[in-house]
Amino acid sequence: MVAGAGTISIKPKLETNRQESQFAIVFRRFIRHRLAVISCILITIIFGASLLAPVLAPFSPTKLDGTLGAQPRPPGIVDSKGQVHWLGVDNLGRDLYTRVLYAGRISITIAIFVTIFTEVLGVLIGAIAGYYGGFVDALVSRVTEFMITIPLLPILAIVAKLLIQYNNQLPIPDFVIAGVGAILLTPATETPKVIALIIVLVAFGWMGTARLMRGMAFSLRGQDFIESLRAFGASDMRIIGRHIIPNGLAPIIVAVSLDLGGVIITEAVLSFLGVGVQDPTPTWGNMLAQAQSYMFQHPWLPLISGIPLVVVSLTFNFIGDGLRDALDPRLKR
Amino acid sequence: MVAYLIRRVFQMVIVLFFVALATYLLLSITATNIMPGGESQRKITPQEVALIRAKYELDFYFPFRFSRWLTGLPNGQIVINGRELFSNVPVGCYMVREQPPSCDQYLYLKDIPEYHPAVKSSKGIIRGDFGISGGISKGRPAWEVIQSRLRPTLELSILSLIFSLLIGVPMGIYSAVHQYSRFDYFATTLAFIGTSMPSFFFALLMILVFSVMPVFWKDTVPWLPRMPAGSYVAARDYMIASWLPSIRAGSTIDHILHLIMPVTVLTVISIAGWSRFVRTSMLEVLRQDYVRTARAKGLIERIVINKHALRNALIPFVTIVVFSIPGIFGGALITETIFAWPGMGRLFIQALGSNDWPIVLALTLITAVLTVVATLLGDILYTVVDPRIRFS
Repeated sequence: MVAGAGTISIKPKLETNRQESQFAIVFRRFIRHRLAVISCILITIIFGASLLAPVLAPFSPTKLDGTLGAQPRPPGIVDSKGQVHWLGVDNLGRDLYTRVLYAGRISITIAIFVTIFTEVLGVLIGAIAGYYGGFVDALVSRVTEFMITIPLLPILAIVAKLLIQYNNQLPIPDFVIAGVGAILLTPATETPKVIALIIVLVAFGWMGTARLMRGMAFSLRGQDFIESLRAFGASDMRIIGRHIIPNGLAPIIVAVSLDLGGVIITEAVLSFLGVGVQDPTPTWGNMLAQAQSYMFQHPWLPLISGIPLVVVSLTFNFIGDGLRDALDPRLKR
Repeated sequence: MVAYLIRRVFQMVIVLFFVALATYLLLSITATNIMPGGESQRKITPQEVALIRAKYELDFYFPFRFSRWLTGLPNGQIVINGRELFSNVPVGCYMVREQPPSCDQYLYLKDIPEYHPAVKSSKGIIRGDFGISGGISKGRPAWEVIQSRLRPTLELSILSLIFSLLIGVPMGIYSAVHQYSRFDYFATTLAFIGTSMPSFFFALLMILVFSVMPVFWKDTVPWLPRMPAGSYVAARDYMIASWLPSIRAGSTIDHILHLIMPVTVLTVISIAGWSRFVRTSMLEVLRQDYVRTARAKGLIERIVINKHALRNALIPFVTIVVFSIPGIFGGALITETIFAWPGMGRLFIQALGSNDWPIVLALTLITAVLTVVATLLGDILYTVVDPRIRFS
């Protein structure tokens, strides 16, 4: 606004209104979605609790305790040392409260890793395909189409099984194993299996994002500002990295939230079916698989790892819903 | 349209070829990885290695053995330089010498014809020969094992398909017509939970509520019926409630009782997705001008909805249903596993667990073929139900 003499008195107010950033607008809209906000709080609590697992959990997640018998015991059981197991113990005497916390840590870490890598991969592939068009686009589109048509779960199960069975032949650098192991708090022998699972989930998870990004890039590249950038002599990398990707990011942000929930479930399904993360390492999926064989005598068992799983999946979906409403009000249902 | 069809079929064949190639590569990898160095339970002797290599013809030139696996051609024994392939591979030892450890008389592959028939028995997977099952039921052809699981899977998936169509479509229509009504909120929330709830936890909850809890509450609520928690039919007679007559094992009622829970799980999952889909597409159509015209003409609401709006709203839905056909075969993986249902999904998991790769890969291949065919079928159906769409 040109500062005229008569407008000076109202200018500051105008200014503050104008300067509400895009982020603030989105944030304000997001806050209005009550369930999404509640979900954010819930997920923070669950995530925080699982990050603090070594502090909060009184026991070791893998230490066996034979004194309680080879049967799961109900919540609140007191063992021979007088320690209380708040959620009971499983058939090997491992404290379930501890295991649920550690499992959350592992499940959520896997989900975050997988989502970061799939989104980065998908965004890059999609942006390049959409921006260049022509042969590159045709190739990428065919591959994406092909990978979307193949039935995902059986393929995931096969590849996960193979990779986990032969994980010692995977060329994973030691520092990656050490780093991931430090985050997951898993022993060095188990970490490669988790990394193998992450690789599988990334390899078969990037297509959705690539499709979204391709569409965005395709529509963006025809617009005038990209044309003018090209006239100014900006390189393709710069146009893609600084203009195409940031402008097409809104639907990706929504997809991230939904994908986090999806990956947690996929990982749980694979672990439940016995081809994902294997037993000494707890995840909600393989804990449920164990619970299934004991649920007829101990019906509370499936709930202990099942409820956090459902809650996390629901919250990510609600957050995704809220983000969609906030980022693109036209899509509001 | 004809040109389009020809192009699509051609593409389909190429895709299927690549799927078969990938499958065969997997088979080769799994076969070679049984070798030492892999994580097998015990050390495998070189003789056993030779046997496995001969069984899967791993030393054979790749394009030829792939073609032989796919089509059964070139058939018959393979003679190179006047010598039959694998005939001189030692696979065992008749007389072992202790010092120094060696063998005096070897057992050759040609001596055990069941592992190396003079004329290869495989007719190629194109003619339905998927090899011999290894772990699940040893020695039976993989295709036969799969066929024996076909019926239970079809029962499950066709029933759930029918129910989800019968419930999901009307639910979506009602939600759309009465948008923002109490029913709509209820249905949308339910669909939301249904899509984000993992199906295996839902199945476990069903078992918990209908099979496990009645046993635990026997003293407080003795009249609560108890559902059978899994498998195809019961092994012996049982009671579901004290006030009902006992159920004969293997009878129709017994079978239906076993069907109820898995069908419910599958139905609820697809209702969640489908009702939302129908709702969205119905809402879109209801906003169109011709619907307003129909209303303005004075047509009663029922006709506007059923005759004008619904028909157009269901066009995209047709493809969704067609795309779910491959899922009929392989999709019930989780549900079948949890309910111990002897179908193809559970067979897949069992085969994977016991390293029965011929069955695993046969099932994968079948599902892939069905998926590709269903995709084509869906696209064609699209033009049939919607004349506005023309492919060129």
